[in-house]
Amino acid sequence: MNVALVGHTMVDPIFQSDNYVLARKLLDAAVVRQEAIAANIANAETPGYRRVDVAPDFAEQLKARLAAGDLSTESAAIKPRLIEDASARSLRPDGNSVEIEHELLAMNRNSVEHEYLTEIISQNIKQLKMAITGRTG
Amino acid sequence: MSPIGSINPLFSAGAPALNKIDAPLPKLPGLHLGGTAAPTTPDGFGRMLDGLVATVDAKQSEAKGLTQRVLLGDSDQLHQSVIAMQEASVSFSLMVEVRNKLIESYQELMRMQV
Amino acid sequence: MNLISGIDITASALAAQKTRLDIVAQNIANAQTTRTASGGPYQRQVVSFETELIRSQGSAGGALQSVRVAQVSTDRSPGQQVYNPQHPDATADGLVTMPNVNLSQEMVDLITASRTYEANLSVAKNARMMATRTLEIGK
Repeated sequence: MNVALVGHTMVDPIFQSDNYVLARKLLDAAVVRQEAIAANIANAETPGYRRVDVAPDFAEQLKARLAAGDLSTESAAIKPRLIEDASARSLRPDGNSVEIEHELLAMNRNSVEHEYLTEIISQNIKQLKMAITGRTG
Repeated sequence: MSPIGSINPLFSAGAPALNKIDAPLPKLPGLHLGGTAAPTTPDGFGRMLDGLVATVDAKQSEAKGLTQRVLLGDSDQLHQSVIAMQEASVSFSLMVEVRNKLIESYQELMRMQV
Repeated sequence: MNLISGIDITASALAAQKTRLDIVAQNIANAQTTRTASGGPYQRQVVSFETELIRSQGSAGGALQSVRVAQVSTDRSPGQQVYNPQHPDATADGLVTMPNVNLSQEMVDLITASRTYEANLSVAKNARMMATRTLEIGK
């Protein structure tokens, strides 16, 4: 057994566990989504503005990597992208596709997801700390 | 539990102090250190510490890089900086604890009557 | 340091909406002003918005646009002419040209602008809450 590697693999079982990596990636997406919603609401009345959101293939790519088993190594390349939401209908003659209520609802949902993801990451880190130092907090 | 019949008295149940050397490290999930990391040779632990130092170094420079970008305003990904700092702190903490346990075990060993 | 995600976007939006609110308030205040410094009745002013590129494609997440006031223009359509010979600004035929401010239209604008302003405020509040939560990771 390569003893030099052992040092490296001591903390990585947590830091490279699927759920931890997923949570970190999804947290990146949640932050980007908050910015997208900020941009959408800012432009709620700009003529011709189309709403943007995180590209749906982000989650698909993560799922694919998870199924393939190489999530921890390949996840660095997967980043959340912003694209124009093609499914948003334009209710106004000037082509603006933002509905404020819809954006606010999306923001609330995103906020809860963000809280959930930070909780997962936080718990993982706290557990590791506890295991190492034998002390809580 | 007399040592009669056991070839090497050092590995009998009557030498509990030596058994402690086998378990100097906290149990971590996924850890497969087992007893094969040559507890009797200092090289094994030395190399392991090297590995740990390498991890700590890597995590700390990652944290440093991300934090600096946030400080300079190049990035607004606060969460990446926070998480990287926490990971670096945990790795560092592990390294310190391993070092402490190693020293403890070494001192224990030196105290043994041969 | 930009620690709260999207705060620069929301800040621009709040500034733009504030300008719009100010203009609407000005229109309402001058709904009866028949004589201005340049002569003639008050003409309603309109604010138009345009997008402002805050972050380009290369950065984390991609292109993001905020909003800014493109221009404040004057609505040149003529106001209603009212027959009121007693009015100090009445013409020889007793007609007074009123400002082209339609109060119900202005009220709708006021309510829309306020709603958008409030929505941007809650975005800012939410973003700050998310940042605070992030800082508590691991503690």
